[in-house]
Amino acid sequence: MLVAGVDVGSTATKAIILDENRKIVGRGLTNTGANVVKAAERAFKNALEEGKFEEWEVTFIVGTGYGRYKVPFGNTQVTEIGCHSRGAHFLFPNTRTILDIGGQDTKAIKVGADGDVKDFCMNDKCAAGTGRFLEAAAGVLGLELGEIGDVSQMSESPIRITNVCTVFVEAEIMSHLSKGRKVEDILRGVHNAIAGRSIALMRRISLEDEITFTGGVSRNKGMVKAIEEKLGMKLNVCSDSQFIGAIGAALFAFEKVEHENNTHSRH
Amino acid sequence: MAKRFEEILDGCKQIVQDTNLSSVSDWKGARKSKKAIGCFPVYTPEEVIHAAGMLPVGLLGGGAIEIDYADSRIQSFVCSIARSTLELGLKGRLNILDGVVFPSICDVARNLAGIWRRNFPTMFVEYVHFPQNITSAHAVEYLVSELLKLKTGLERMSGKKISNDDIANSIKIYNENRALVSKLYQLRTKKPWAISTSELYTIIRTGRFIPKEKHSIILQSVLDAIEKRERKQRDSLRVIIEGSFCEQPPIELLETIEEAGCYIIDDDLSLSSRWYEEPIQLNGNPLESLAYAYVHNAIKSSVRHNHTKPRDIVLVEKFRELKADGVIFCSAKFCDPALFDFVLMKNTLEREGIPYISFEFEEKMSAFDNVRTQIETFVESIMFFA
Amino acid sequence: MTETIYKYQDVGRNYQKDLLGKWYKDLSTANEKKEPVAYLFISGNISELLEVFGFHLVYPEVNALQCGVRKVAGDFILKAEDTGYSPDVCGYVKNDIGLIINNNVGPFGKMPKPDLLLCTYSGCNTYIKWFEALAKFYDAPLFMLDVPYMWNGNIDADSIRYLTRQFSELIPLCEKISGKKFSMERLQEILGLSRKAEDLWVEILESSKRIPSPFDAFFEAVFFMAPIYVMRGKKECVDYYKMALEEIKERIAHQIGPVPKERFRVVMEGPPPWPHFRNFWELFKKWGVCCVGSTYSKVGGIWDLPLQGDVPSDKCFRHDPERPFETIAEYALNCYTNWSWDMRVRMMEKYLKDYLADGLVIHSVKSCRAFSVGQADVREYFSKKLNMPTLFIESDLADPRYFSEAQLKNRIDAFFESLAHKRGA
Repeated sequence: MLVAGVDVGSTATKAIILDENRKIVGRGLTNTGANVVKAAERAFKNALEEGKFEEWEVTFIVGTGYGRYKVPFGNTQVTEIGCHSRGAHFLFPNTRTILDIGGQDTKAIKVGADGDVKDFCMNDKCAAGTGRFLEAAAGVLGLELGEIGDVSQMSESPIRITNVCTVFVEAEIMSHLSKGRKVEDILRGVHNAIAGRSIALMRRISLEDEITFTGGVSRNKGMVKAIEEKLGMKLNVCSDSQFIGAIGAALFAFEKVEHENNTHSRH
Repeated sequence: MAKRFEEILDGCKQIVQDTNLSSVSDWKGARKSKKAIGCFPVYTPEEVIHAAGMLPVGLLGGGAIEIDYADSRIQSFVCSIARSTLELGLKGRLNILDGVVFPSICDVARNLAGIWRRNFPTMFVEYVHFPQNITSAHAVEYLVSELLKLKTGLERMSGKKISNDDIANSIKIYNENRALVSKLYQLRTKKPWAISTSELYTIIRTGRFIPKEKHSIILQSVLDAIEKRERKQRDSLRVIIEGSFCEQPPIELLETIEEAGCYIIDDDLSLSSRWYEEPIQLNGNPLESLAYAYVHNAIKSSVRHNHTKPRDIVLVEKFRELKADGVIFCSAKFCDPALFDFVLMKNTLEREGIPYISFEFEEKMSAFDNVRTQIETFVESIMFFA
Repeated sequence: MTETIYKYQDVGRNYQKDLLGKWYKDLSTANEKKEPVAYLFISGNISELLEVFGFHLVYPEVNALQCGVRKVAGDFILKAEDTGYSPDVCGYVKNDIGLIINNNVGPFGKMPKPDLLLCTYSGCNTYIKWFEALAKFYDAPLFMLDVPYMWNGNIDADSIRYLTRQFSELIPLCEKISGKKFSMERLQEILGLSRKAEDLWVEILESSKRIPSPFDAFFEAVFFMAPIYVMRGKKECVDYYKMALEEIKERIAHQIGPVPKERFRVVMEGPPPWPHFRNFWELFKKWGVCCVGSTYSKVGGIWDLPLQGDVPSDKCFRHDPERPFETIAEYALNCYTNWSWDMRVRMMEKYLKDYLADGLVIHSVKSCRAFSVGQADVREYFSKKLNMPTLFIESDLADPRYFSEAQLKNRIDAFFESLAHKRGA
């Protein structure tokens, strides 16, 4: 028995295939691009190819992410909040708080012992504190997104970034550069600002150990460090963190199939 | 030996920049019975608090404090001072205070009072509803009842009764202080090169953290020391600042405006220390005298309805009387009273042909280049092209 | 409910629409006919007193929400911002300014100019700024009715005295403007009608205690509440609520309600996003949500809950012809925005409990700080201390720009998804 979850995000689309033992047997990843439907199909196809499966072998598919209604071959949709909750709990059963910093929004989710969403809080009104903020900073400093985390860690005296708006932070960074401040200090300041906002977001749903850090920005080691230092707590991060939404979706698919099997077996 | 101006100013800077409120703990000393009451802007009846033998302490916002906790209590589309003040409280930085008094200046302050009460249940929290119907014959009576509530609350806190004589005495002390502040303001208007606005502001703000009697001594010594100060007169633009300042501008903002070529000859900063247009007349019941003065002699401000003389008329009159060259509006972001009044005031200024410039500020702003450029342009446009 | 099957079907919605339509029509000719016009606010509206003098009543707040619903608010707000109003200030006010710039012509017809601006400062400081601006634009007399804030959760003698004395100062002004003399008899007659309407309205509100609820206490209440706020002392108002109650009784008899199958019951805190009202409702209807209690429907008066303790709703506040000025004063104090945060939280708690709700939805509106500042704190209280499922969503009440359907949908879906999951549904 195989089930799948497809997570259509604003930047990347991910697919996960689980088998009857809830083991991950296929992963697919692609850029979302302009055509959301094609992205979903591509990601799913990639996952199938990896596991060497045929499409008909997958019994149930759950779509999630902002493009969840555009997964034409999906059987149902679940919000990414629900899926992140499930997925993070699957990888880290003791997690009770999830911090998801994506390209365009940031979420803090309070998750129960059973992997259920207990509360959540989102910063979806503006780009401050999201990946976009980091992109803007990297742009102004002439660096690649992939290197800013490491550079930031070289800082010995980070400066304080006070602007909360992504649009204005560029001007603030330029002002610091013109005053001769070091790139790593500025970058660390940017990371610290995001860390501060993320922690404030988590506090709204009363942050509890263990905290799992997911989303594209979680691959930025400098960001992980900045949050851990500010919070004084360790974060769960893993290489599969980008797939957490898709894993959660696949788990929902799994539950659905199980539930139906149980219902049928009663008759 | 009389102190030099710079010495006095340094002393004031120390008090004002101290974020630990050590002047308050110094005043309290070892006496647990001494109580300090935080006063949220714009105006709180400090005389009553003073009469109770307590120290009224200005709550002037947290400046650039990092908001770690207040975000989960107050949303983002709210003036910074509400959030930073709550942040100070939640971080324990106001533990030296035994109570807080909130005035009815706006919707945010009113709601903040409620949030405060829930989050600090052991503190004395009071809200004073200042009358907005100032032409009613019953406004004074009503305000007396509000002041009585405050008085009773303070008495319960201290276990001591506040006599009419105590209140009358406090009013006298505050009258003295206001007279000295007024003298300084008049001096600055006449000779803005003798004392800059950033200096004046610092000196007056000091009075929010120390007993008023001590502050009056400082003010008198400032007046004396200014005589001996040698300052050159610059060819700067004479401007009036309109900000409905509840949220305080960072001192660098005032300095930027001055450096950009302006003499600020009048402003609505530090209204708490200048709330009455003339000394409070003591007539019989001092609480009544206080209430009467609030209803009839309070300064015109955006947080107080005054349809006998709306703000735009007051501004134009002031402009002409003080022979100003321009007006600078700086409203705090999200400040409803300031942002609403701005439109009516600017419309009238346009009709009267009075030049103005406007921008929004935040107490936590740290980059002033933008503002500087705007002010410099404004100055040039008046100096060279008017 | 599209085809008429029942006798009183949709009476609540349609009759209210007719009443308002007639009201607007009368307003459009008031200036020509030299009939006195008074502008006032919903919170603290002492309409009974003005009724005595025959004033036409205009509620700029209602104009603003009508503009929102009929999709012209965006335009009016932009016009106001062009004249210098900040994007951050109250959308209702800007809509009104835009309306004035548009020669007072709105989607409801022409709005008359005021002969009297009665600013009832009941829990909203922005009201003061609003009418100060209108006083300037219209050059009309402004009376500031100062309503003390209910900081201590009770109605004290000082507040009543202050208010009743202000009424005695207001009356000569009304006489002068309207040319009519004050009549206690007439006032008492009007108050008697108010009281009747209040009793009927409370009955309608309490019908939501039933499972399933026959009435959506937010999405339907905001329309059902219009007559009691804008024409309370009139006979038509009493007639309306009689009919509306019949509709509710009919729904109960036939087991029908605002959603085909009620799955979730919630209490709603906050105003609706008027420019996107329908879409917003759909986001909840999709989950079978029925609002069984709301706080916004109490902005113009609280008749179903006491200030303190446990008092049956029929013994709660009512206008009383035997105590005319005192009860008008009590009424002015007793509006939701004039309740302290402690009291507001108590209202939500009571509704959650008495109306058997599954959760609390807080809709925070960006331009209204009177309503919104403190909602995040409240959320903390309900979600952490009381463990009550709480959904926090944000948009605006008047400005169509601050509504992101995708984001709202995401949050709403996630919330009800988790509620459904908890139930095993």
